[in-house]
Amino acid sequence: MKKAIEFKNIKKAYGNKVVIDGLSLSVDKGEFVTIIGSSGCGKTTALKMVNGLIEPTEGDILVDGENIRNKNLTVLRRNIGYAIQGSVLFPHMTVEQNVSYVPNLLNKKDKAKTKSAVSKWLKIVGLDEEMKERYPSELSGGQQQRVGIARALAASPDILLMDEPFGAVDEITRGQLQVELKQIHQKTGITILFVTHDIGEALKLGTKVLVMDKGVIQQFAEPKELLSKPATDFVKQLVERERRTCHLPDDRLNDCEYSGASCAAIKE
Amino acid sequence: MLQNMWSVFIEKKDLFLGLLLEHLEISLLAIFIAILFGGIVGIIISEFQKSAKPTLGIINFLYTIPSISMLGFLIPFSGIGNATAVIALTVYALLPMVRSTHTGMTNIDPVILEAAKGMGSTRTQILFKVKMPLAMPVILSGVRNMVTMTIALAGVASFIGAGGLGVAIYRGITTNNAAMTMAGSLLIAILALLMDLILGFIEKRMKKHSVKAKKANRIMSITALLLCLAMIGGSMLPSSKQDTIQIATKPMTEQYVLGEMLDILIEQDTDLSVNLTQGIGGGTSNIQPAMESGEFDIYPEYTGTGWNMVLKKEGLYTEDLFDTLQSEYRNSYDMEWIGMYGFNNTYGLAVRREIAEKYDIHTYSDLKNISKQLIFGAEYDFFEREDGYDALCKTYGLEFEKTMDMDIGLKYQAIDQGKIDVMTIFTTDGQLSVSDVTTLEDDKGFYPSYLCGNVIRSEVLDKHPELKDIFNKLTGIISDDDMARMNYAVETEGKEPREAARAFLENAGLLK
Repeated sequence: MKKAIEFKNIKKAYGNKVVIDGLSLSVDKGEFVTIIGSSGCGKTTALKMVNGLIEPTEGDILVDGENIRNKNLTVLRRNIGYAIQGSVLFPHMTVEQNVSYVPNLLNKKDKAKTKSAVSKWLKIVGLDEEMKERYPSELSGGQQQRVGIARALAASPDILLMDEPFGAVDEITRGQLQVELKQIHQKTGITILFVTHDIGEALKLGTKVLVMDKGVIQQFAEPKELLSKPATDFVKQLVERERRTCHLPDDRLNDCEYSGASCAAIKE
Repeated sequence: MLQNMWSVFIEKKDLFLGLLLEHLEISLLAIFIAILFGGIVGIIISEFQKSAKPTLGIINFLYTIPSISMLGFLIPFSGIGNATAVIALTVYALLPMVRSTHTGMTNIDPVILEAAKGMGSTRTQILFKVKMPLAMPVILSGVRNMVTMTIALAGVASFIGAGGLGVAIYRGITTNNAAMTMAGSLLIAILALLMDLILGFIEKRMKKHSVKAKKANRIMSITALLLCLAMIGGSMLPSSKQDTIQIATKPMTEQYVLGEMLDILIEQDTDLSVNLTQGIGGGTSNIQPAMESGEFDIYPEYTGTGWNMVLKKEGLYTEDLFDTLQSEYRNSYDMEWIGMYGFNNTYGLAVRREIAEKYDIHTYSDLKNISKQLIFGAEYDFFEREDGYDALCKTYGLEFEKTMDMDIGLKYQAIDQGKIDVMTIFTTDGQLSVSDVTTLEDDKGFYPSYLCGNVIRSEVLDKHPELKDIFNKLTGIISDDDMARMNYAVETEGKEPREAARAFLENAGLLK
């Protein structure tokens, strides 16, 4: 399978403080990788290296097999969707203007194409047409996140980077958004890197989960494997509760002392 | 007072309307330049943060220069008049503009900027599509402050011969016409408030997002822009004709009257037109440089002042030195003295008439014997000046019973009420013509002579010899008393300088 993103021996240090050390990793095309770890573990840093917002101190990043050091970062970024936590929609633009931001950067001329792309993506993220004229301040938190996703996807990128995009919404909305994102991933086959601090979310969404601690990879594997064979104590501790979350009918709950593996099976 | 103001305003509607428009022109031009230039500087220093501190420092420093010194400082570079005013106003308007732009641009949530960058915007795109629109509310509130401030400050511009409502204020102050001063001030305040309201309206409109509101906004802003352009364009049209004589006057009532006389006579007797700039602040020290640069052609001046301030001679000027004065003006400045009016506006002493009659006093020396019984009144600075009280007493051997410091405006009241017996005066004081006092002769020549005449650029006189006739007609026709009476008519009776000038010329048979 072709590699979408490769980290080659990445090190990032701010002065003497090493944030990431010896990170090597490759992500296949169409993979949905969730990245989890305690705060300060370097997960956001790793994400921002992919679109060149942060430059590694050592090592190379390859996107579609090309080293991004040799690429025009602006062009690179336009082909990578980027969605981050909280309301980071442009407050002075309508929903439509927000979503068409990147398409407009790419091609200013083809207004009809942009317009139809906006409509398409709004529909996919579950927003009404009539929302187009609204401003971010007139939307609920969940709606804002949906617009954020639509904006990240509007130019039909091959890669989507998401940094805790659902961090600021309520539990119910988050559940809906997770389902929708999963569907979008399945429909489009886009490669997604998704940073989260919620292990449940990481296991539920990812086709692969990357666990990081103190700038070092603890485990990079499918959710099932993470639950059944935690590679380190850190991972074990992380998935401990999830292993014991049993999706069983009431009368069988008693059987469920170490049912992590079966949990994952049900999720699949 | 209010009624006075209203009647002044109604009487001189045209004057006020003209001044109002001029005021608006000067301030709008400065505001426009400041918005453009200050905005650009603000943007540049927020994009290149390292330059922010020094730039803001420099602008802060400029801002702390008092407006009067700023205007004075600019005169050698940009001369007298509207250009200097616009430059000075622009300089002051820069600080709020640059600062608010910088604040607005640098206080944007960095997360939003990172998102914009992460989505592949170039630096320019971030600037124009994200930063500037987001900074707009802060910038706009800065603009509002700046506009109000500029309009108010433009009132000072008349000090250096620029137009605008400050002219009314300044004229009101120098000719003792409080109603005029108040009317001018009030109009400035109203203008500033009005502009603030308009900007508030714009701010409100800009917050409206709906499509309909946006369309309306666009139409309104285009209309406003066209109006502004038309106004600026109108004011830029060259209005100076070839044969215009530029006359300046100092900020003194009698100079206003003299200026009007020249204006009336030149326009009546020749084909020349006159542009009269009344009451240039700073007087000689600002008019002389403008004469040298050819901005002004003629202004009324006093021989003693020319001797000390222009030729920078030490020592007392007497009229014996007039030939030296004349030839040095010709040689050094290519200017000459012409049309000596006849009156002498110098310092003098006046005694209450009953005392003068009782003791038969005519000269300063006559005071010697009785000075011990008299109370002497003068402005505060007379007692401090080198050529003031002590020197006077020494020269004439005087020794007064008592001295009193008082404001120049209160002296005449005090002498009428018998609180003082002797006082210093200017020989053309308007009050002098109606007070019950006797002016004494300076028999030992303690004070310099300040005969009033006109300084004219020789080039202008050569080109327009017909002016000589006019100056001939004016030579020697105004006595100290005449001038004092005209000053009184303007300062106390509230006549317009032009009226007073016309009445005098009429009397002298010079009007056709």
